[in-house]
Amino acid sequence: MILTILRIMYLRLRNNPLELLLVFVMPVIFFSIFAAIFSNGIATGSDKKLRIGLVCAEPSHAGTELRAFLEDNSSLQCTSLNDSKSSQSLNDSMVSALIQDAQNSGRYDLVVKLPCPVPTDAPDNPSSVTLVTDGQNSMAVAMVTSIVKAFFSQKAARAFAEKLFKLQQDGKGAPEVQDESSSRRTHSDSEMPKPEDGSFFDAPKTPADFFPESNTNQLMATDEYGVVRAGETAAVVPSRWSLPKSVNLHQPKSAKKGDQDVAELSGIDDDMNILVENPQAMSQENPRIAMYAAGIAVLFLLFSATGSAAALLEEEESGTLDRILVSKAGLFHIIGGKWLGIFALGCVQISVMFLWAEMIFQIQLSKHLDGFMVMTVCTSAATASFAMLMATLCKSRAQLNAASVVIILSMSAVGGSMIPRFVMSDRMKEIGKWTFNAWALDGYQKVFWYQSPVSSLQTEVTVLLGSALVLGVLALVFSNRWKRG
Amino acid sequence: MTETPTPILTLTQVRKKYRGREALKGISLQLFPGELLGFFGPNGAGKTTMIRCISGLLKPDSGQIRMQVSANPDASTTARLGLVPQNLAVYPDLTVQQNLEVFGRLEGVSGRVLQERIKEVLDWAALKDRTRSLVKTLSGGMQRRLNIACSVLHRPSVLLLDEPTVGVDPQSRERIYTMLDELTAQGAAVLLTTHQLDEVETRCHRIVVIDHGTIVADGKLSELVRQTIGRPHRVFVRFDQPYLKELPAFSFDEHRTSAKCAIDSMKELPQVLAVLKQLDHEPSQIDVRSFGLQDVFLELTGRSLRE
Repeated sequence: MILTILRIMYLRLRNNPLELLLVFVMPVIFFSIFAAIFSNGIATGSDKKLRIGLVCAEPSHAGTELRAFLEDNSSLQCTSLNDSKSSQSLNDSMVSALIQDAQNSGRYDLVVKLPCPVPTDAPDNPSSVTLVTDGQNSMAVAMVTSIVKAFFSQKAARAFAEKLFKLQQDGKGAPEVQDESSSRRTHSDSEMPKPEDGSFFDAPKTPADFFPESNTNQLMATDEYGVVRAGETAAVVPSRWSLPKSVNLHQPKSAKKGDQDVAELSGIDDDMNILVENPQAMSQENPRIAMYAAGIAVLFLLFSATGSAAALLEEEESGTLDRILVSKAGLFHIIGGKWLGIFALGCVQISVMFLWAEMIFQIQLSKHLDGFMVMTVCTSAATASFAMLMATLCKSRAQLNAASVVIILSMSAVGGSMIPRFVMSDRMKEIGKWTFNAWALDGYQKVFWYQSPVSSLQTEVTVLLGSALVLGVLALVFSNRWKRG
Repeated sequence: MTETPTPILTLTQVRKKYRGREALKGISLQLFPGELLGFFGPNGAGKTTMIRCISGLLKPDSGQIRMQVSANPDASTTARLGLVPQNLAVYPDLTVQQNLEVFGRLEGVSGRVLQERIKEVLDWAALKDRTRSLVKTLSGGMQRRLNIACSVLHRPSVLLLDEPTVGVDPQSRERIYTMLDELTAQGAAVLLTTHQLDEVETRCHRIVVIDHGTIVADGKLSELVRQTIGRPHRVFVRFDQPYLKELPAFSFDEHRTSAKCAIDSMKELPQVLAVLKQLDHEPSQIDVRSFGLQDVFLELTGRSLRE
């Protein structure tokens, strides 16, 4: 009897190609998608590099050296955002515009503002390296910070050694160096400075430890790696911050100030701060939550839309469609009415998701209402057309269910509803552009993360509305199989 | 001199190829106001294709379908047509009232007129007490009645029903035919397809038998019997052993153990019994049988299995 039951199961599975597809093909598809995302196998064939944009406002010796150091680093893929060889300097607004464009393009994990020459009228004001993040890839901040610190450590060590050698040459003898950290700087150029705990600098305990004097009105936080976390209210710190004093190489903590030689030695390194900025963080709150809301909303919107469109196939199977077609309603009315219903449902569904996110996570929906509405309308329109096309292409509800599960989950995986797009390789991102999810998420990202104006959504709006139109027309064309006569 | 009624629906040499085969091979048919026409045929004979052609869902390859809906010759053929599909073509997750409202609106009836029609139809279909019930909670018979009710809100002059009594109990079936009788009494023409022989025999005013896309018989039951079988009644006599003598008016089978005699009317039965009275030995069985639609149907379509 058990064998007979097993045989029934086997026969039913064998006779149902859609179920076979779901059971055997779907897992393979998903495995391939996720493997491609995480292994970068289809992206570059090598380990993924951090993509760094370099901005040089004004050429300087330190900037040139740092650029070369960063470009030599095998884990970084550096691109100049402006002409580095141009002698023309950029003002602050031009630099800001360059950085904003770079961030909006999504092609960079981090933008590095190379140090400018120290102004002659403000010699006490040290030049700085500024790391500009959009808050998406926090690991990039930690990693580049370490690399920049390594650069300055090496530079300081080399300068220290040269100075020491010069002092010995002058017959002054080697100064007594009591500072343990200073003594480490006498190591060879190739050796990276390493503290006991293995990190390059002491990890901050609380923001207040590092910013005792800073203005904490602006929102910014650090995590256990000391990297920027925008919008996480557990630690509220300024959006612009400098590394702790322990890593500001021009002020070694334990150097004896009275010691002239040591003072000379400690002053040999270029005065340099490493600053981390997140321009978006100044006025945003929980943009990451907004992105999750968008990702989940689009995923479920696709499912609910195809579910609603499936009613068309149910009506066909029950004969209700025939009855409606015989009435005064034409096929255009039926398809148009259903499209409108799914569109409205989609708008409400996304709105509910974001309202909830606003109530619970304070994503500042009211501040981005215009952008949110534009993206919601466009996303719902594209989704409604997609669902109607699926319904008109499929012959039965079962077929639609199987096809929609495969397509929607694949689109969501590739398009960023399941895995953030910024962790994907460029190739995967390009592939993701063939999905609604990617365009919708890019749009919501611009609205909630980059605080971009509605005018910046032109591309997303065009793609989504264009898709809505094309897919809608295709749905009408394929629905002709139900046409009277 | 009686005036010949004008047909409300006329099909002339309608041909339609459907899914690679010729489903209708030149169907010609007339339907008159107040008539209940039973469309009868084996599975795959072309009944549903014909209904779909009449309702406009399929376009005939050739031939003409003309519907006299009003004095206006430009009026749409579907303007006063009602279709009751074979399946339950209602929304199971809406209430009875909601279903009637949406299908009424789709037929162009709205406002107070729609509410009045809904009241009438609920009464007509004996669903007045279940207006707020979800359709999925109704019995099969109630669902079938609602299925029909949704198609008459716009008062169609022609109602097409594709097997309207499938899966319902005798009481509901009786109610459905009562509803159809009331419709025809109001002047509507009703065309229904069914496999229920007894329904067609007893309820339909006229019967059309279709097979292989062709109308093979058209008329009242008695006419069909006469056309296909001949005399409508038959007397059967069986013997335990072969009866070798001749028996007037009876024809024997090859074993001469049974004989039959066709008669036009039951009034002829005493004369037949008088003949049997003269038998040498007593027959083991005597049956008197009237021919019905099944005999006509099998005579016309054969006994081989269909789709």
